[in-house]
Amino acid sequence: MLIVGAVLATNNAWVAGLAIAVAAISVLKFAEKAPWSKSFWFSLKLGAFILVIRTFVGVLIGVPIPGTALFSVPILPLPNWIAGIRIGGVVTQERLLSSIHEGLIIITVIAMFGAAVSLTSPHKLLRITPVVIYEFGVATVIATSALPQLVLSASRIRRARALRGDEKPSWRSIAIPLLEDSLSRSLELAAAMDSRGYGISRKRSRYRPIPWQILDSFVVASGLISIALALAVTQ
Amino acid sequence: MINFSNVSLIYPTSTKTILEDLSFSIMEGELVLIIGSTGTGKSSLLKLINGLVPHHTGGILAGDITVDGISTKLVRPGELSHLVGIVGQNPSQGFVTDTVEEELAFGMEAQNLAPDLMRKRVEEILDLMALAHLRDRNISTLSGGEQQRVAIGSALVMHPKILVLDEPTSALDPIAAEEVLSILHRLVHDLSLTVIIAEHRLERVIGFADRIIHISGDGNAKIDTPEVILKDSAIAPPIVHLARALGLSEVGLSVRDVRRASEKFRNVGEDLERAPIESGEVIVSASDLTLKYGSSVALKSLNLSIHAGEIVALMGRNGAGKSSLLTTLVGLQKPSTGNSTICNTPSMLLKGKVRREIVGFIPQEPSDLLYGQSVLGECQQADKDNQVPSGTTLALLQRIVPSVDEQTHPRDLSEGQRLALALSVVLSAQPQVLILDEPTRGLDYQSKALLITLLQNFSRELGRSVLIATHDVELVAELADRVIFLSEGEIVADGPTLDILLSSPAFAPQVSKVMSPRRWLTVSDVVAAMENEK
Repeated sequence: MLIVGAVLATNNAWVAGLAIAVAAISVLKFAEKAPWSKSFWFSLKLGAFILVIRTFVGVLIGVPIPGTALFSVPILPLPNWIAGIRIGGVVTQERLLSSIHEGLIIITVIAMFGAAVSLTSPHKLLRITPVVIYEFGVATVIATSALPQLVLSASRIRRARALRGDEKPSWRSIAIPLLEDSLSRSLELAAAMDSRGYGISRKRSRYRPIPWQILDSFVVASGLISIALALAVTQ
Repeated sequence: MINFSNVSLIYPTSTKTILEDLSFSIMEGELVLIIGSTGTGKSSLLKLINGLVPHHTGGILAGDITVDGISTKLVRPGELSHLVGIVGQNPSQGFVTDTVEEELAFGMEAQNLAPDLMRKRVEEILDLMALAHLRDRNISTLSGGEQQRVAIGSALVMHPKILVLDEPTSALDPIAAEEVLSILHRLVHDLSLTVIIAEHRLERVIGFADRIIHISGDGNAKIDTPEVILKDSAIAPPIVHLARALGLSEVGLSVRDVRRASEKFRNVGEDLERAPIESGEVIVSASDLTLKYGSSVALKSLNLSIHAGEIVALMGRNGAGKSSLLTTLVGLQKPSTGNSTICNTPSMLLKGKVRREIVGFIPQEPSDLLYGQSVLGECQQADKDNQVPSGTTLALLQRIVPSVDEQTHPRDLSEGQRLALALSVVLSAQPQVLILDEPTRGLDYQSKALLITLLQNFSRELGRSVLIATHDVELVAELADRVIFLSEGEIVADGPTLDILLSSPAFAPQVSKVMSPRRWLTVSDVVAAMENEK
């Protein structure tokens, strides 16, 4: 999360790219062979998809940035009352770059989230959620377990689809069963936690506490330093 | 202990009442069984006990439910967690942590118990549920039976007074199911635990039940002793059907009782000799098939051939490699060495239309195959895929389940209806081989009978082969010609159903236990033998 903060603060494509590379290396090196470890690659794919859409839309719609013209797209006539917005027109290099740049920042945020989910099981994350924020805790379960569940369900559904002789199923036909499936699983998990008394007692004991080590402080400190640096550089 | 007074339940999105004016009470230390066809509200009734319905699911509840004197309307489900332990239909979806030990401790952590007390209780449960050797294992790597034991253990660790289980044995092989049930039986007798179980496979649980709640589906329910309920209920284990068919005056619930009452029938009649199926050409063949997941071996150089017109059952304990074998045969998984062919086509090369015409595979979750927005849409898609006249698939479906509404979303169908829909979609391509993975999970007796007829017709009329992986001994007895028994990825037995099932008591169907040493497997076998005698 701290690294996400740093990337957002610098708003620099190189820093963002570097962060993704570091995340990829740590996922490759440390991710256990667990069902959720594919989440990072899934998030990268999702990110790439967003980048393409974002760039396309960013180039076509919006305020023109002057600069080197690359090519030109016919302007779509729009009524006067939405002056200031333009669809089509001259596509400049600066404009293309700025769109890609913004897209890249978004990807980084998504990829960091994916890497976090890949590296630790959502269940472990949940166990250390403070009980004080119980209602929020249940929402966190649903959110953190939804992505890995989504990845799991996607591969299961794709396999089943291949069985019906449909090797390249369309996104649309997978998306609906996928969302239903992962949502219902997450809800079931929340129900199971509820019936086992999660959040009833304000205090919560630890069976085998995960001790806070010097290394952990170091990690947090380095994150904070990188944010500070990022802010200092951009000022 | 549990008191329902005039309880009615209705979900806001449906017009049907789930339960209507239900009143009963359950004493401490009773083991109560809930029976009823699929979709009659068994799971809802179970969830009412700890308040998950309506607190978590919504719905309008009238009347009052008290558990140990506490009204479930007034407290959240979590506040009953020390009182009621609940184990859902799919325990794997309810696990909160990663390892067995952490999972057992989770509920106690939430209750803020002292660490040394937790340690003591976790050890207790590890011993009780025979989980000690699995304590550090990741839960997702455990077999179905082990997961079920972890789920029950993590409910018991809270020392509840009531344990609620939704189909605890449906994913288990006969021996694992027996183990789980005998643990429950012991807890009921030693600690006076109150246990409520919903289950379709009555043959497994009936011997343990003190009373039965029979939900009839129109909102009404009956509660009485097993003898009274089963006397004229359509939902009954084979042993009761046997007693009825033989005209015994009393309905016995254990093999012992019926065996005593039916002694004279064992001295007459001819033993069953099922005519050996003339083996046609080889349809499915596998040679030297080995499959490894990392360091663990799922299949060990396996050789297998299935002929045209055969119905073969694949049995074996949880984690023996049944599903691995099936997925390798249909080409979803690449074997490490060896190869398999279906209709002389290598499994890995099956694609598109050719695949549909050669092999139909129904996975454990039939809903995976479905993606249409309605039953009708699903059927039309299948017609289009297979280039058959439109309406063929729907007609097929209506032959299996006449009552299904074609505008329903596949998700809203009952378990049996969904299986029927997946079957119709697959069968509309008229495949040479039909392969099913655990088709009877969650099916009631009625849907099971339907499935048996359908598969028999498919195999006999068209001369096609069927391969089923299942734990359901009674299904195998009724349906299969041949049984293949897997253990640790190897075939340990392969032969006619009669020989294989009668050779081990754990896998013998109820009828043959009663009629042993005579060689009969099903009620209809016995009836046929008696009629020949007359």
